[in-house]
Amino acid sequence: MELTTFSFFIFCIVTLIIYFIVPKKIQWVILLISSFIFLFWNNFNASTIIQILIILLSSYIFGILIEKNYNTKKGKYLLILGIVAILCVLIYLKYTNLFLITINHILNFLNIGYRFELVHRNSLIGISYYSLIMIGYLIDIYRGVCKSQKNIFKCALFMSYFPILPSGPFIRYNSIEEDLYGKHKFNFKSFCNGLLRILWGLFKILVISQRLGMFVDTVYGNLSSYTGFYTILAVLFFSLQLYTNFSGSIDIIMGISEILGITLPENFKAPFFSKTITEFWRNWHITLGSWLRDYVFYPLQKSNMIQKLAKKSKQKFGKKIGKKISLYISMLVMWILIGIWHGGKYTFIIGTGLLQFVFIFLEDILSPISNKINKKLNINTDVFSYKLYQCIRTFLLFSFSLIFFRSNSVSQALLIIRNMFDLDLSFILNGNLFKVGLDVLDFMVLIISLICLFIVELLSLSGSVREKLFKQNIVFRWLIIYILLFSIIIFGCYGVGYDPAAFIYRNF
Amino acid sequence: MENKEIYERLNNVFRDVFDDESITVNENTTSDDIEDWDSLEHINLVVAVEQEFGMKFNMNEVTTMKNVGEMVDIIKSRI
Repeated sequence: MELTTFSFFIFCIVTLIIYFIVPKKIQWVILLISSFIFLFWNNFNASTIIQILIILLSSYIFGILIEKNYNTKKGKYLLILGIVAILCVLIYLKYTNLFLITINHILNFLNIGYRFELVHRNSLIGISYYSLIMIGYLIDIYRGVCKSQKNIFKCALFMSYFPILPSGPFIRYNSIEEDLYGKHKFNFKSFCNGLLRILWGLFKILVISQRLGMFVDTVYGNLSSYTGFYTILAVLFFSLQLYTNFSGSIDIIMGISEILGITLPENFKAPFFSKTITEFWRNWHITLGSWLRDYVFYPLQKSNMIQKLAKKSKQKFGKKIGKKISLYISMLVMWILIGIWHGGKYTFIIGTGLLQFVFIFLEDILSPISNKINKKLNINTDVFSYKLYQCIRTFLLFSFSLIFFRSNSVSQALLIIRNMFDLDLSFILNGNLFKVGLDVLDFMVLIISLICLFIVELLSLSGSVREKLFKQNIVFRWLIIYILLFSIIIFGCYGVGYDPAAFIYRNF
Repeated sequence: MENKEIYERLNNVFRDVFDDESITVNENTTSDDIEDWDSLEHINLVVAVEQEFGMKFNMNEVTTMKNVGEMVDIIKSRI
């Protein structure tokens, strides 16, 4: 069930009505039932039931056992067992093909003719999220951050809370426990706030992301016909498409949760205003970054192995460089994991893993040099123009890395990079730009919507945009809300066969 | 150990880790007050403090410490 479909809309309305009608002490039961309906929607079979049972029972049983053996060696072994059980399900469902492809590459390299056939695994929506969320839950119990949940149904709700299944964010048990199982009165202000956020999310997805997607899909689907500027534009458009789609989904999820009275952590903070890739990743998919920082990076950096390495490298290369070596090794491990988490393909490992590491590594080692150059050339770095240059540079680097993320294979990504340099300016004169999935009107809608997005993102840097809107006069407030609503209805792209945008505005 | 002595020793650790002799910490100092104190340097700082005072922070403390005051409270409870 996609977030922007009519069936999801109906599903949410039914859930909300029942949630606020039933006695407050069983509100969480309604959420659990809704979450399981959402989880198994169109995918209810023995295999998916077994997946859920293994992850749920592992989290539930090991959670209680780890708590009972708090601060003991046995507790540590139980934690490892619990994590392994959950990881086995995740690896089996999402990464079997990555292993098979790797083995096939090795066989090819060794000139052995045999090839393993790739497999199709039927996994449930959100497995990458709830498997890591439950690993975090076990680690938190082990660290004494939270107590284990003794009611298996409540544990099941924490695992399957439906709004976060499609695209996160990552939640932590100690921060959500009270909201998830608490009693919630219908709050009109939260309802309006949530609804506005849902509308904004729909605007981002239906008006901007889907429209950009039409251009991107056309170029990526026909790489021999579209080269040069078309490819460059498609590459840049894809970053914006991904951001508006992902952050739009998060807006819808946060909005629904807000109406339910459940506060989720923010996942984005105007990432395209970041001046470096390091800063960019602090503002993009924030909860994934903090999950990996707390549960992978810190323990790894603090491990005896890395500490010994740091000590040795400090002795050999001096304090400054020695300290960096162990840091870079931990970072490399973390970035490879981020790449793998995005999907079991090498394109993801390169695009959202290795390339990001390379950019951050280069930023770190080149920043003293660039500071020296700026000083020598008397370049003022504390002005708007320089910050703009930094933001554009970050956007371009991120867009470049997404070539791999969007491509079907590494060779296709390399072809796209080559195509970008095959420049031909004739498209400006012959009007062919408006035949690549989008016409002149689409481009106009896109430009205006992107300007709106830019303004809202800029405003969000100095506090909640909704609070600012609600402080305005009633006429202006409703004008903005109506414009938002009608632009979604009129300019939204609802897919092939159901396109009110095409139906309404093209006839004028 | 007196608070004063702990802060003096902590100042030396901070100055050494962040290569900045001008750093002076107090109980309200947070990562926002020291330019290089980000999530990457945080662990280096934690390990350096552990070595200085011969104690260990657990991972929960590492991820939830909000300011130097909380760090000092943990140090005092362990030494």
